[in-house]
Amino acid sequence: MAMPASTGRQEAEALARNVPEERYDRVVRLAQAIFGAPIAALNLIGNDSQFTVASIGYPKGEMPAEDSVCHMTVQHQEILEVRDLREDERFASIPAVTGPPRVRFYAGVPVRGQSGQNVGALCILDLVPRTLGRQQREMLADLGALLERELAVQEEMDLAGQVQQLMLPTSAPDIAGVEVAGRVQPAREAGGDYFDWFVVDDPSGTGRRLQMVLGDVMGKGLAASLIASEVRAVLRGHSRYSDVGAAVAQTSTTTRHDLEANNRFSTLWVGRLDPATGALDYVDAGHGLAVIASQRGYRRLYQEYLPLGMPIEDSWDKASDVLGRDELLVVVSDGVFDVLDDSFDKAYAKLQEILDPELSCRQIVDRIVDYAVSHAATDDVTALAVRRT
Amino acid sequence: MSFEEADLGTHVVLAPEGKFNLVAAPPLKARIDDLVAAGRSRLVVDLGAVDFIDSSGLGALIGGLKSARQQGGDLRIAGAGDQVRAVLKLTNLDRILAPYDTVEEAVHDW
Repeated sequence: MAMPASTGRQEAEALARNVPEERYDRVVRLAQAIFGAPIAALNLIGNDSQFTVASIGYPKGEMPAEDSVCHMTVQHQEILEVRDLREDERFASIPAVTGPPRVRFYAGVPVRGQSGQNVGALCILDLVPRTLGRQQREMLADLGALLERELAVQEEMDLAGQVQQLMLPTSAPDIAGVEVAGRVQPAREAGGDYFDWFVVDDPSGTGRRLQMVLGDVMGKGLAASLIASEVRAVLRGHSRYSDVGAAVAQTSTTTRHDLEANNRFSTLWVGRLDPATGALDYVDAGHGLAVIASQRGYRRLYQEYLPLGMPIEDSWDKASDVLGRDELLVVVSDGVFDVLDDSFDKAYAKLQEILDPELSCRQIVDRIVDYAVSHAATDDVTALAVRRT
Repeated sequence: MSFEEADLGTHVVLAPEGKFNLVAAPPLKARIDDLVAAGRSRLVVDLGAVDFIDSSGLGALIGGLKSARQQGGDLRIAGAGDQVRAVLKLTNLDRILAPYDTVEEAVHDW
């Protein structure tokens, strides 16, 4: 199509890529019922395509934008109403008019995105010619406004999810002798799970260490992600000057007010590895889901400390282990553990299948997360895998 | 999800059922807050009919425990099944929210 890609079209493309179940369906159902029309739909107009993201009486999906009526609607700021599409030369030859479902009547209201530009239209279609009364036009405009709100909420959520994703480490840590990978799949756009890694100078003066973190803030969604961002940042700060035990204790003190005020708690597993020797210090703050595994068996890296944000005081002191050259350190969130029936033996049995030196840590976390997602995980799902090279 | 409520004079028993999660937890937590605000701060949550708890459910229990204790009372849990006990143990929350086998045992000293 010869039209330039505008901000609104880019926005529509982004919205169409991430359509939440049900979010827009209610308003479309309402439109269909109010107007007694056989077809109602929310169509987003992207660069070259129309994306039908919610509909009644018409399949959802993608079609060329020039075959749609809504692509005309989004070029104006008011309702487009066509009594009989067959008698309108702009539309008489489009497929939905010349072939099934052979629509005759169209009314559509443009809906704006956050950019202020139109991203799509809410439309009703009928198989017989008709006209809308004044009140009906007002009603259609109101329904369009309702959808604009839904779209705005979705865009905010998508952006929050992007911000959270961009906070995750993406590049290999600047330290030799270790391979690490992690992945989060939030149940919604954003969530309370996160992982992190970075290189610290251990205050013991014995050199650089790789610090690895997996945190899980109670709850899901945007609110949990805000708290997760705080815990992540505070722990990063304290980790520069303290051993892992002290860093977690200081993080608890610093975040106490915010966790308590919001009635949230956060489990944390924090490890600090010397890749050269395999020496590993760790703290387990109520997380419980870290293991070192090899074909010989597995051992949990587990302590009896509480999560952060509990109504009673706790202390957190580090424990120590050694990561052998043929061993894999795996930390997951409870979203993974739930689909394994909360059983370590079952988890280890599954893990044995991927304890393959040929698989990269990246492939291993992908296998874990994909397994959890494909087994109907309802929670955020996170995995972190580390080994010496 | 709805929950049963029984006022036994010295304490109130709340009994959620099914999945105690993001959907079910907020109404129960709101009810606990109302009860505590009305001076009923000795509470038992009977988890005998709960087959699944997630972190939001745990959060509601911990939050309820906190408000009950602030008013000089307590919140205790009873009848937790395997999954609930496993999650409490995993997160070490059984240290502050000890699971009693029955409501009677939970209220033995009230």
